[in-house]
Amino acid sequence: MGGLSEILWQEQSSLPLLIWLQLIPLIGAAVVFAFKERSTAVIAGKVFALAELLLGIIVTSRINPTLPALQMAERFDLIAYHVAVDGLSLIFILLTALLTFLMTLYGMSRGMISPGRLFAVLLVAEAGLVGMLMTVNLVWFCVFSALELWAVFHLLRRWASSRAEIQALARFIQYQAFGWALFAGGCVVLGWAYADAHAGYWSFDLFELVGAVPAGKFQTAAFYLLFYGLAVRTPLFPLHGWLPNMAQHGLIAVAPALMVGVKVGIYGMVRFVLPLTPAAVEYWQPYVVGFAMAGIFFTAALAFQQTNLRRLLAFAVVSHTSLLVIGVFSLHESGIQGAILLAANFGLAATGMWFIVGFVFRRTGTTELHELSGLFERIPFLAIAFLSFGLAIVGMPGTPGFDAAHLVLEAAIDRFGALPTVAAALGNVAAAGFLLWAFQRAFLSPSQEGRELDVDRTLPMEYLVCGIALAAMLAIGVFTEPWLRLTETASQAIALRFIR
Amino acid sequence: MTLPLPLPLQLPPQLPLLSLLIFAPLGGALALWLLPARAARHLVALTLLITLAISSAVLFNFDPAGARFQLIERLPWIASLNVHYLVAVDGLSVLFLPATALLFLGSLVASWNLVHDAPRLHYSLLLTLQSATLGIFCALDTVLFFFFWELTLVPLYFLLGRWGATRDSPLAAARYLLIMLAGGIPLLIAFIVLASSQPTIPPTLSFDLIALLAAPLPRSTQTLVFLLCLLGFALKVPLVPLHTWLPQFSLAAPGSLTALIVGLKLGVFGLIRFAIPLAPAAAQDMHWLLAGLGTVTLLYGAVGILGQTNLRIALAYASICHVGLAVLGLASFSAQGAQGAVALLLSFTVATGGAFLLLEFLRQRTGSTDINGLGGAAKTMPLLASGVLICGLAGVGMPGTSSFPGEFPLILAALQSHTGAGMAALFGLSIAAGGFLALYRKAFFGPVTRPEVAQAEDLRPRERVVLIALIIMIVGIGLYPAPWFDIIRPAAEAWAAGLSR
Repeated sequence: MGGLSEILWQEQSSLPLLIWLQLIPLIGAAVVFAFKERSTAVIAGKVFALAELLLGIIVTSRINPTLPALQMAERFDLIAYHVAVDGLSLIFILLTALLTFLMTLYGMSRGMISPGRLFAVLLVAEAGLVGMLMTVNLVWFCVFSALELWAVFHLLRRWASSRAEIQALARFIQYQAFGWALFAGGCVVLGWAYADAHAGYWSFDLFELVGAVPAGKFQTAAFYLLFYGLAVRTPLFPLHGWLPNMAQHGLIAVAPALMVGVKVGIYGMVRFVLPLTPAAVEYWQPYVVGFAMAGIFFTAALAFQQTNLRRLLAFAVVSHTSLLVIGVFSLHESGIQGAILLAANFGLAATGMWFIVGFVFRRTGTTELHELSGLFERIPFLAIAFLSFGLAIVGMPGTPGFDAAHLVLEAAIDRFGALPTVAAALGNVAAAGFLLWAFQRAFLSPSQEGRELDVDRTLPMEYLVCGIALAAMLAIGVFTEPWLRLTETASQAIALRFIR
Repeated sequence: MTLPLPLPLQLPPQLPLLSLLIFAPLGGALALWLLPARAARHLVALTLLITLAISSAVLFNFDPAGARFQLIERLPWIASLNVHYLVAVDGLSVLFLPATALLFLGSLVASWNLVHDAPRLHYSLLLTLQSATLGIFCALDTVLFFFFWELTLVPLYFLLGRWGATRDSPLAAARYLLIMLAGGIPLLIAFIVLASSQPTIPPTLSFDLIALLAAPLPRSTQTLVFLLCLLGFALKVPLVPLHTWLPQFSLAAPGSLTALIVGLKLGVFGLIRFAIPLAPAAAQDMHWLLAGLGTVTLLYGAVGILGQTNLRIALAYASICHVGLAVLGLASFSAQGAQGAVALLLSFTVATGGAFLLLEFLRQRTGSTDINGLGGAAKTMPLLASGVLICGLAGVGMPGTSSFPGEFPLILAALQSHTGAGMAALFGLSIAAGGFLALYRKAFFGPVTRPEVAQAEDLRPRERVVLIALIIMIVGIGLYPAPWFDIIRPAAEAWAAGLSR
């Protein structure tokens, strides 16, 4: 089992950039919080979000994606602080920064209570996400995860959109605390195994653990704890119960986007689960893939049953997450690369759709499909953007979903044969089916007699938010090459552990 | 150069003509948003004329006696997957470019006064559709082809769903989109299998059609690729039993849109360009499947005409009938078959597309294309009635019309390779002709019973231009097909030679 290599930050830049990536959102949160509800708070929030995005771009330009090593590494052994990035984590970091920036734009629109506080919590959540995406220490991963969950919990409690929020909140805590505990348990098992092998010296650092993976039953236990811990987060069928409630009753757009826009669960599987429990992963691969296949269709069927646009989108997220798991567990370099790119694509597209649902809710006060009609006439731009995001989820050529789905299918053909691949691809068409169906009912159906909704035209801010998301998506979709190059070597490095 | 015409202008040789052609409509679509909405249709007309001019320039710059693929442009697109932006034309595809440009122009003229709400959106979707269609005919990289292939679906969905002719249009649009998305899956999988089973060392992905044609695949892979491609393209053609979307589509869509879908036979083009040459041995093993599907489709379409009362659905069935003939002819795998198929498809663009446009004029006047709502229409609208007759006769392959030069070699090829199926085809074609004439008689002759028909006025000048252009093309090509055949023949021979390797 080969170890991991890293390149320290001194060799690549004159400043430790990664620590700044983590500190900017935290400092931003403190500053915004200090401004309270003054209008400067809103501006400061946007400035910090933008600064984070720019810094992420700078880091991306500094690393060399053709090297398999983790790069820009920073260590501070006293507190076991150890961070490093490669192409895979940078994709997610850029996505996090972009989505947070869009959320600050989205959040400043009218009708949002205490936007200053909201931005502070948002930046805390961003700090948690970015921290999870760059640390290579399992304990730090757990800590950042707790930080982010706390921020989302706070969002749900304070800014929920309906009376039923208590139920959504309770579900959220039950599931997430359970998932977090499972993951932490997995970390303990791994650390213990390391301590056994190294005379009682405990470590949770990925670089050290990877050389001393536990054997036999302990590895299986660690795999199950880590995998299901992350599966709750992702969310993977059948552990998705928290998402539909939260999507329906929680703060529209921001809360779901934070939880599922950035697929930390998928990232965690690629970064930690695959290298740390390789034998168990290979052994359980057929079962995981089987469950994921079932999940695609089961949740697609559930999505067809929904009468609420927000719940429907939640099931769409669960359905396509199953496809990501198939990609990761193909244990094939194209599959992993495709899954990562597809996760980023889904994150961007799904968040775009959440935003539009939020805009619709502000106009109509409802997201029940049978109460919405004829929106296309009033807000054509948002309608077309909604459909474009939907088609990106389905993997339409011209969106990033196409090349990514293409890679996943290629890996699936190679590993599982043509028939499961066709089944997985058909699941995608099912997703197209319910998204189109929702689109038709909400946007294209003729206005009902006497129930014409008084709907405002598209506002400049809405053009801006959806336009940025749409432009980013189409640009990445047509010029996929840089993103493929960014992730190629890193995916190969991970798949190399499973060469058969 | 076989056309004895002096070149109107000498173009610089490096000019990327095909890219210009593909992106001109997209440029027009963007320009639409810079001008006020009332200028939209004039700008669209200008864009379509420019497209027509560029496609004619492509035709003039194409040398039928030269290399198989000409005007090649190759740029790396997704380098790490070895995907290129690779466009070129050969004799099989070059004529489709001006035909597409003409059909879109006709479609615009037919719906000139009809688009009132959100015209800029409507026209930019139409232009995007044209870009994608031209791209399909030019793309030689399978991924690029697939990109354009799927890109056609989005504008079609909106054009049908938002500007449809009936209340059911959004439903028909969604159904069409879903069926075509599902049809894309086997195609994509076939292309991936093709790309990853190249016998190169080290194994690299290859999506380049020219390279794929040069390297034959193992037999078992060929079978898989051929069946997947056939499934994907047969949905679009449509071959029976995968045709169920077409009658519904042709009823729900405005005539100008149906003309585009039925007039441009992308599915058969896909069979000619990709499915058969990429898996030649498998295709020849399964000639019975191709010929059988073709024959069943032909007979089904012919019999389908008999039961119809609506002219538009009858026309849709007539087109099903004729693509069946084209597929049957292709199953002979001879140059004659390929040449006939391409010629017939081109004639379709004019004849069937034109007939749908004329029926759209009829629908605008009488509100219906059902024979029960017409009757005696020839009395008040003689020009329109004769136009429908000419297009319809061309549609059933009357000698002297543009379809005949394509149909004749097809039937010859079919009779040689599959005699029984060829006989059945002849029989089916006569049923189709009889069915069409019976319908035509009921719709246009007899006493005038309905006030809408009695008060309808004949073709207006704008519509007469369409009619005259149609007649010139149908009769002109029908009487003097030689120049067009000279363009198609060398490529068809190269196509057939590639199969018999």
